[in-house]
Amino acid sequence: MGLEYVKIAPGFERYMPRDYVDLVKMGQFGRQVDVMDLGQFKELVEDHPMCAGCYMAYFIRIFYASLPNPEDTIVLGTAGCARLALSQAAVPFIYGNYGDTNAVASGLKRALTIRFPDKHKDVVVIAGDGGLMDIGFGMTMHSWFRREKFTTIMVDNEVYGNTGGQESGMSPKGVQLKMAPKGKQFDKINAVELAQTAGCVYVARISPTNPKRIAKVIRRAILAARHFGPTFIHAYTSCNIEYSIPTREVLADARNREKKDFKFYEWMTDEVKEYFEEMEKKEVKA
Amino acid sequence: MYFVAKVKEDECAKYNCKQCVLFCPEPNCINFLEKKSTAWVWPDKCKGCEICVYVCSDLLKRNCIEMVMVQAGD
Repeated sequence: MGLEYVKIAPGFERYMPRDYVDLVKMGQFGRQVDVMDLGQFKELVEDHPMCAGCYMAYFIRIFYASLPNPEDTIVLGTAGCARLALSQAAVPFIYGNYGDTNAVASGLKRALTIRFPDKHKDVVVIAGDGGLMDIGFGMTMHSWFRREKFTTIMVDNEVYGNTGGQESGMSPKGVQLKMAPKGKQFDKINAVELAQTAGCVYVARISPTNPKRIAKVIRRAILAARHFGPTFIHAYTSCNIEYSIPTREVLADARNREKKDFKFYEWMTDEVKEYFEEMEKKEVKA
Repeated sequence: MYFVAKVKEDECAKYNCKQCVLFCPEPNCINFLEKKSTAWVWPDKCKGCEICVYVCSDLLKRNCIEMVMVQAGD
């Protein structure tokens, strides 16, 4: 972690792989890129083995492009689809046991605060609906109750995608899946309301249809977590395999869901709101 | 033999829109060349999902991207 760690030692440039040299020369380290400039710089995340047309992969791509300080960030993940792309990025990645991401993140954030008292080191958890709302439910909730200062992002594909399509707590009611042939009997968990009640200071629900908005939400969640407390983003990232969405229709599906149950929603406490208003005023002046 | 996206560069250069670049799930797969103001596809990275075609043809009605068959080693 840190810029010095990323740079290539003098004399070794010609021995380094092309991708790495590009990453240092034309990448995101040490500068703030605009997500609208995607395709004109070397991205942090590399080729990954996720399915063609996967919108979880898309969300992760935008996530890495919108990190405020990639050189001072640690990402945590757990079993599930998301870790396939998260582990291919040039940002330190920790793979927890299933469901313990938020417990690991709590300890890590506390240790980093003691080790680097004068710097902000961001800790971000990205896990699926199974990792955060089913199996890791207790640890997720308790990290929020304790007001741990890190960001939790749930990439919700509404199914256990890579174990054959079992229903999860986040699958919508009545949906028929390969391993839920009778259709799901219960309602979808309202994760956003849970997060608000449990003590998150910034909560957002988003469908990946607008890269600029995703970037804004992710930046806000990370910045608010530095100063105030836990933050949570609930993102809809469809599973085109288990829900049989033709890859060409994946964006259309995300737009469609945005009109129904994934309307953009953003909530924050008054002090966080004040902080962002002040920050935006400063940005306008600059 | 597999399908990848291919940008019709002459057509694309008319618009300077970049929307396909912003909606592709693969990192650095569709890139943008500012000099010619056109998008271009890195065929090795393309998985052929056609989301860019949906954005360009169905949403924007510009029809600048087509799917082509390539051989390994092309």
